[in-house]
Amino acid sequence: MKVIFTDVLVIGGGLAGLRMGIGAKRRGHEVIVLSLVPPKRSHSAAAQGGMQASLANVIKGQGDSEDVHFEDTVRGSDWGADQDVARMFVNTAPKAVRELAAWGLPWSRVTPGDREVIINSQKVTITEREEARGLIAQRDFGGTKKWRTCYVSDGTGHAMLYTASDRAIGEGIEVHERAEAIALIHDGKRCYGAIVRDLITGELRAYMAKATAIATGGAGRLYSITTNAVICEGIGHAIALETGVAALGNMEAVQFHPTGIVPVGILMTEGCRGDGGLLRDVDGHRFMPDYEPEKKELASRDVVSRRMEEHIRKGKGVKSRFGEHLWLDVTLLGRKHIEHNLREIKEICESFLGIDPAEKWIPVRPAQHYTMGGVRTNHTGESPHLKGLFAAGEAACWDLHGFNRLGGNSVAETVVAGMIVGEFIADFCDKPENTVDAPIALAQEFMAREEAKLKALLNSNGTENAFKLNSEMQEVMTRSVGIFRNGEALKEGVAKLQNLLERSRNIGLTSKAPGVNPELVAAYRTQKMIKLALTVAYGALQRTESRGAHFREDYPNRDDQNWLKRTLSFWRDENATLPELQYETFDVMKMELPPGWRGYGAKDYIDHPDTAKRLAEVEEIRKRMESEGKDRFAIQETLMSFRDKLPENLRGLNERIDEPLNG
Amino acid sequence: MSDDQKNTASGGKTRQRMLTFHILRYNPQDPDSKPRMQSYQLEEAEGMTLFLALSEIREHQDPTLQYDFVCRAGICGSCSMLINGRPGLACRTLTKELDADISLAPLPVFELIGDLSVNTGKWMRGMSERLETWVHAKEEEVNLSKAETRMDAELADKIYELDRCVECGSCVAACGTAQMRRDFVGAVGMNKVARFKLDPRDVRTDDDFYELVGDDSGVFGCMSLLGCHDICPKELPLQTQIAFLRRKMATIGC
Amino acid sequence: MSNETLIIQAGLSERPRKSRLPARLDLLQSMTGLFLALFMWGHMFFVASILLGKDAMWTITKFFEGYFFFGKAYPGLVSIVVAVVAVVFVLHAMLAVRKFPINYRQFSVYRAHAKSMRHGDTTMWMWQVYTGFLMFFLASAHLYQMMVWPQAIGPYGSGGRMWVDGLWPFYLTLLLLVEFHGGIGLYRLAVKWCWPNAGREFLKKLKWGITAFFLILGLATLGAYIKIGIENQDKYLNGEHYTPAWVQQAEESAR
Repeated sequence: MKVIFTDVLVIGGGLAGLRMGIGAKRRGHEVIVLSLVPPKRSHSAAAQGGMQASLANVIKGQGDSEDVHFEDTVRGSDWGADQDVARMFVNTAPKAVRELAAWGLPWSRVTPGDREVIINSQKVTITEREEARGLIAQRDFGGTKKWRTCYVSDGTGHAMLYTASDRAIGEGIEVHERAEAIALIHDGKRCYGAIVRDLITGELRAYMAKATAIATGGAGRLYSITTNAVICEGIGHAIALETGVAALGNMEAVQFHPTGIVPVGILMTEGCRGDGGLLRDVDGHRFMPDYEPEKKELASRDVVSRRMEEHIRKGKGVKSRFGEHLWLDVTLLGRKHIEHNLREIKEICESFLGIDPAEKWIPVRPAQHYTMGGVRTNHTGESPHLKGLFAAGEAACWDLHGFNRLGGNSVAETVVAGMIVGEFIADFCDKPENTVDAPIALAQEFMAREEAKLKALLNSNGTENAFKLNSEMQEVMTRSVGIFRNGEALKEGVAKLQNLLERSRNIGLTSKAPGVNPELVAAYRTQKMIKLALTVAYGALQRTESRGAHFREDYPNRDDQNWLKRTLSFWRDENATLPELQYETFDVMKMELPPGWRGYGAKDYIDHPDTAKRLAEVEEIRKRMESEGKDRFAIQETLMSFRDKLPENLRGLNERIDEPLNG
Repeated sequence: MSDDQKNTASGGKTRQRMLTFHILRYNPQDPDSKPRMQSYQLEEAEGMTLFLALSEIREHQDPTLQYDFVCRAGICGSCSMLINGRPGLACRTLTKELDADISLAPLPVFELIGDLSVNTGKWMRGMSERLETWVHAKEEEVNLSKAETRMDAELADKIYELDRCVECGSCVAACGTAQMRRDFVGAVGMNKVARFKLDPRDVRTDDDFYELVGDDSGVFGCMSLLGCHDICPKELPLQTQIAFLRRKMATIGC
Repeated sequence: MSNETLIIQAGLSERPRKSRLPARLDLLQSMTGLFLALFMWGHMFFVASILLGKDAMWTITKFFEGYFFFGKAYPGLVSIVVAVVAVVFVLHAMLAVRKFPINYRQFSVYRAHAKSMRHGDTTMWMWQVYTGFLMFFLASAHLYQMMVWPQAIGPYGSGGRMWVDGLWPFYLTLLLLVEFHGGIGLYRLAVKWCWPNAGREFLKKLKWGITAFFLILGLATLGAYIKIGIENQDKYLNGEHYTPAWVQQAEESAR
């Protein structure tokens, strides 16, 4: 048995994983990053649009601050977010942007003077300040009050990933590419590493570490139409779930992006609408203002996606051989803008649709986009259930996004969580009591178990085909657990998934080829993915309300009275066909921003009994302290103190043109 | 909306072509495996890319077929292979742009993992370590509270223009020099050096860069065959960048 | 032994600075190539003077032999020029051969690559290698001949060499080799250094235009020498040199 020892084992080589790794390494700990693919191929690269951070450099971002970013994020989450975490996040986001800038990221910069932009389909001239010359620029995005999304032309994620990855190489961080963690090594209390399959040779290895961190991204491939890369199968989620100890949080919270191209679901960035692109129906009518007069195309993603589906249901969709769709119109932005700021969009339209987006409209329909749910962690990124197991980024339920993530907050979360959790991992490793006392026998036990599982699959006389089961699962998820959900369809969906899970225990392989064996990979992944699908479907069935991206036609209102809580899924019995659900209740009395209307979407919701009380309290504190001449930091600190939760090096304030640092 | 757009939406049903894929098969992990060409037939579908075609072949005809796809949107650079003999990103190659007979082979130069899958990651990591493709900053610690250092907007765009490389390996596979000399740094490497040379945050001087590429496995090994420039899926200005670097490095050497 | 030497010997010195030689060699290869290409352009025009008549060609020849400066021809001057060109030629060959495939594996890999790439610039390089390789022999022979018997240059001498000595197939081959190798080489120099900074399509068209021009000029010139060779076989065999009528008159009157 091959055993590799390290201080920190990071599973996943995307932005979150790399940044955590860099953090831990800089604190003097040995780090190994496992990655399914070369890190620079990770799905982080696909985040075209940008990263939110309240730098307030551009004129349309003037007045932006951590406070506004915080409010946008919490409203966007439909009050599902952990407000402490949201505060930690908004305070660190500008630092993350600036750190990346220092590491060589070519953020798009401000040019002072007049420039023409499209706002609400009107050409408007805005004038950038001379003081902002050469500072990082921001663009508009959905669900935000200010222009806050920092970007690199049309390739933000790509540029961020390359900067972080090159930094990691510069730090000498070892990356084991084409390596897949298929099980976590643990004793029910403490995580000790992972059993890893080499995706070149097919060999199994044990990695033992003081801290194990999951940063494997989302699970979009649970759905048939998704913007996610083909590697986003949620295996990181699944191995945490399969410990039977760690919990997944809010798996029913699945975001659908309004503009995936039809039919393949490739993403048309939110930047299209942020920069002024419009949505049109079969008649060429711009329909979003009819539904959302305030934010129009730039309401949050869950709202826009739902309005689009609603409009299609009204018979206003465009019929095509791939089903119905709507149009995304960016022609009004002009060729120059498209070829410069939305070049990726142009390339995709040309390569996959054969159209020129400067001349023609793009066929779009909502597609699965983001997994808000993930490995439940506390604010330090550590699982509250399994010591030594950390998670960050899309794979985690830290819980920054609650039931809907804002555009531009995902890549932001990856690096911010990477910075924060990286420090906490280093703290964890620094503690003498956390030294691994090398329970080799445990690793041997897990290795034997996993070997036996794979051998059983290879030698099985099973009659089920893994690829077929996988696509059946995707169909069930798309049909029953999509944008519009209801009890009946969910019940049916859950039953079908249970049946699929049972069938997946009877998979047979046609090939026993040595090496990676793609059929074997599909087999063990499908088994894991169906379990994951069940946490989504079953969580959605149980949650009898609508919140953020989770929309129940039979319970169309947000219900703070009963459902202001986070779903936790456990899979304690390996032979079970359903997860066990528990709930974590929120304390309204501790919220800085008590629940209310989001500013877009439905206005009907059922209040929590404490909401009015807390609202009054917050109002009173604010008024009193303002009259005492206290600044926004002091007021915030009184409402909900968070700064001491951050690692020490990240507690500082953030400099802005209008908020210079003293001294 | 134009009539044209209405028409594309309705679309008539046409007879689809039968495609024949000739795929190079070889599994180095299997001692019995020998390199051979294997043919698969597949009915073409509307908007079919090589990604969709290969997925269908794996799912319905041959589950052992190895290939690499990640983003399937032309962004990540995983899927470069020889398509009818020339390197290209398979995911964004539409079958309708090819003849009914399509040959697919793994990229040369890179270590073969199996069938169409090659280890570009390992090669690229080696290149990055050799050329130190990260900003060598003056100060290691960044003051995270302070505003960012200013940078000219145009310069930032210029750096990004070169930063768009996706390390797909097409330029290396399209390079005659790299075919003959395995230690050649390739256009991808020279483009990186040009990128960091441009970056004011990087403190390295031309002399430092000469240490990295000032020899025959670097910029002076390039014979300007420009397969790289002509094949680059991101249409990077490789010819001018290599020429620019060559002039700078030649100046250092003289 | 100095301290420094000891440190170096122990392998503990700072990373040795990379040699500046590759830069110089690369530049030298380009410069020698450029020199030879430009020389060949001039050379082509000089020999093509035969198209304007024997007198014109004679004049050019004698010009290079210093006749008009010293009143007497010194063919040795041509030898010196040829020697300089030969040195540059050998230098260029030595530098260029570094890029050649060094074994059969490299050669066959490149050939297969070029075949599968179907890419003009890649294929052209093979032609550069082939033509360059052949020129090792053909151009060397020609240079040697011109260096040793510069006096043989002249309308009758050159014509006779083509026809009587039967060297026209040699010169025809050399012409093709030079024009293709030189044309491709100049084009590659332009894209290599990005100077002139023009589009490649344009450069390629220009290259083919220049090659076509010099080929036509060269073929016509070769034809003219062959014609003179056929018409003046006896004179050549008698060792007679062409002298223009006006020179003969002048010489006679001087006598």
